[in-house]
Amino acid sequence: MENNSIAIVTDSTADIPDFLLEQNSIHVVNNLIIIEGKSFLDRLEIKRQEFYEKLPQMKMFPTTATASAGVYQTLYESLFKQGIEWIISIHTSKKLSGIFNAASLAAQSFGKRVQVIDSEMVSLGLGFQALVAAEAVKQGLKLENIISLIADTRRRIRLVAMLDTLEYIRRSGRVNWLRARLGDVLRIKPLLEVRNGEVLSLGEVRTYRKGVKRLLDMLTSLGPIERLAILHTNAEKEAKEFLQSLSFQLPTSPVIVNVTTVIGSHVGPNGLGFVAMLSR
Amino acid sequence: MDLTSQEAPQYQERIKRLQKHPVDGIALMKFIEAGLTWLRTNHQSVNALNVFPVPDGDTGTNMVLTMQAAYDEISNQPNRNFGRMAHTVAQGALMGARGNSGVILSQLWRGFARALDNYEYLDAENLVQSLAVARDTAYKGVVRPVEGTILTVAKDIAKAAQDAYKQSSDLIEIFETIVQAADESVEKTPLLLPVLKEAGVVDAGGKGLFFILEGILRFVRGQSLEIPHASVKPLSAITLGEALNSIEPGQDYEVVVDFFPKEKLNLEDFYTNLENMGTSIQIGEGDGLYRMHIHVPTEKRYEPINYAMSLGTISKVSMENLIAQMEQTRLEGEHNQLSLAKVEPGQIAVVAVVPGDGIGRVFASLGVSAIVEGGQTMNPSTQEILNSFENLPTDKIIILPNNKNIIGAAKTASELTVKNVAVIPCHSIPQGLAAMMRLAPNGDFEAVVQDMSDAINEIETGEITQATRNVEINGVAVKEGEFIALHNGMLVYASSDLEDACLGLLSKANASNYELITLFSGADVPKADINRYADAIRKVYPNQEVEVQEGGQPHYFFIISIE
Repeated sequence: MENNSIAIVTDSTADIPDFLLEQNSIHVVNNLIIIEGKSFLDRLEIKRQEFYEKLPQMKMFPTTATASAGVYQTLYESLFKQGIEWIISIHTSKKLSGIFNAASLAAQSFGKRVQVIDSEMVSLGLGFQALVAAEAVKQGLKLENIISLIADTRRRIRLVAMLDTLEYIRRSGRVNWLRARLGDVLRIKPLLEVRNGEVLSLGEVRTYRKGVKRLLDMLTSLGPIERLAILHTNAEKEAKEFLQSLSFQLPTSPVIVNVTTVIGSHVGPNGLGFVAMLSR
Repeated sequence: MDLTSQEAPQYQERIKRLQKHPVDGIALMKFIEAGLTWLRTNHQSVNALNVFPVPDGDTGTNMVLTMQAAYDEISNQPNRNFGRMAHTVAQGALMGARGNSGVILSQLWRGFARALDNYEYLDAENLVQSLAVARDTAYKGVVRPVEGTILTVAKDIAKAAQDAYKQSSDLIEIFETIVQAADESVEKTPLLLPVLKEAGVVDAGGKGLFFILEGILRFVRGQSLEIPHASVKPLSAITLGEALNSIEPGQDYEVVVDFFPKEKLNLEDFYTNLENMGTSIQIGEGDGLYRMHIHVPTEKRYEPINYAMSLGTISKVSMENLIAQMEQTRLEGEHNQLSLAKVEPGQIAVVAVVPGDGIGRVFASLGVSAIVEGGQTMNPSTQEILNSFENLPTDKIIILPNNKNIIGAAKTASELTVKNVAVIPCHSIPQGLAAMMRLAPNGDFEAVVQDMSDAINEIETGEITQATRNVEINGVAVKEGEFIALHNGMLVYASSDLEDACLGLLSKANASNYELITLFSGADVPKADINRYADAIRKVYPNQEVEVQEGGQPHYFFIISIE
């Protein structure tokens, strides 16, 4: 099997910065966000900062849509035409999004040549898995080894975030643990994690500083970290401060990411979190 | 002992008669009834023995309710066997225990019963033994026993009984010595506990125990247990807010009259005359102004006013239709139905003790599965706490007592169930809310309990209430009626102005170093004024977020969380 015979495909919810996509030859399918009846291509047609600034004032709640199976099929076909033998197509948790289904549907006509993988994660929780896979391709690993490497990576990833409000995630319908009137009476900031493909509650805080402290405590308690991403939704200053406040040995080049609008429309602005990939 | 010499000859005959009969289980039932009745007659004076000058004196009430539960239990199943009846008393007291004093009282009964296990009758020897075991059991039931409390009184009683037994084996003589010793021991409590001395009071729990014992002795002697009492409270201690809870059928109007009497009031007569008109009578006095509060039937609603006019000059009258008010409350209640968190087998459920509707709603919104009403002046019983979670479909229960005085009953409840129950030792509403933030219903029980316990230290609690008397504590001089500020339970500031008291508290708590100030307004703060106080705070603390909730708690104008 040749080095360049395997392609890695993911989607825009992986939040991988453009330079890393290029460096690692990762192919990205963009999802859609629909704002007041008009649809925009994620990454390309909408500026994240501007989107989050306007989000609280939007009269209609923006909705999101996955790229169609047809888009995936077209991409897979063109990759095979370029001489690719195998495709690993890795996506956001199928419990949270229809992306995995769209990709799976498209993959059916190519048999085993397209391996669609549920990352059970979102944002760089997915992105790190795609990056590890792409690096393994460069190193010449075999398909089955890469697939088991992805599974191993997934087990080492933790994603935790603090949202500024419950409002957006409640409207998203993506979580089942929300108590009926939670946050209606007392203003709270929920803490959550993504685990086994689901969004789980880690409790709440009432002030930003307490939330940051809990994020720090959780991150510090994880032990040695191989890769780190700080996630935010228009809270770049806070994300940088958070990164600077870390006192442990940081992995090389941690990334700070203003999260994709497709995820961000479900969590709202001023969220802060991290994705950590633990060392083996 | 307040027995006068004239009374003495009257009861000698009775005692001689009683001495011939063995003391069996039925006698114990009578003793319990007597102790309970005498304690009830005097419970207001026990309530008034409060270290803090805050209107939350409830030791007397708690002990009455605990004894009532004990009496209910034995009167339902009378038995001649003394030992068996003693166990029934202990069981009733345990289930009905309210407040810390009630919990210790129930431990005393438990020890008492344990020592009398196989005795058909009470005699001098086993009385002495049982008082010693009662003492030991009560001491063991407290994590860090403090002298100068009900424990010391129990200890002195046991010692006195032992000494008296060396002189005489007459049960009644020994009992007289015991009551005497209890009285002296109570009077000495301020010497052992500096906070009592500073506040100028004796220990309330010890005093309550004394009344129970004295009641038994009075019964033995055939003395009255229901001396009519006309007590006058400070004006601020009149609790009008609870009128609706004590409404009796036919008493449709609440009438409150403030007046200056022409000459000194004869309180006994005054009280008796009011009793002929209605119920729920409370009399308050301050600077010569008297306030009378009474519930009367519709046709008698002007009588208290005419009566007060005959005694002096009326300065203010208020009259409210309780039936209409109750309907209003009922409608509001329906509107504000709590939505409690559904819990599934294996999940962690939280029970919160809350003092007001508003605070209950806040806790409900954060996911508690059961709510027990209670707080400063209304400590729930062990049984009430137990009932709140026994029917929840899970075995993992966390209790938030939200008040120092409820932790004991909550712990007792946790020991009486087969469920896995943890009590988070939160002393205040803000601490309880901080703990709620860490609830993970599907988490590991031990870890969640640890997490929630840690969280209570991450919040500052402020409470604003009104002083019920003059006092100086922690170097803060307080006048009766002034607003006082407690920071994490410590008196830090006093002022005649509510707004100033709030600001004084926030300053003492260094609120400018924090992010969020949440005000829970009490039932006594008019809704229209709440925002005025919040705005005053926002002005002084522009960098802090100020959030306001209607808490609805009694006595506390504001409960404030600072974080």
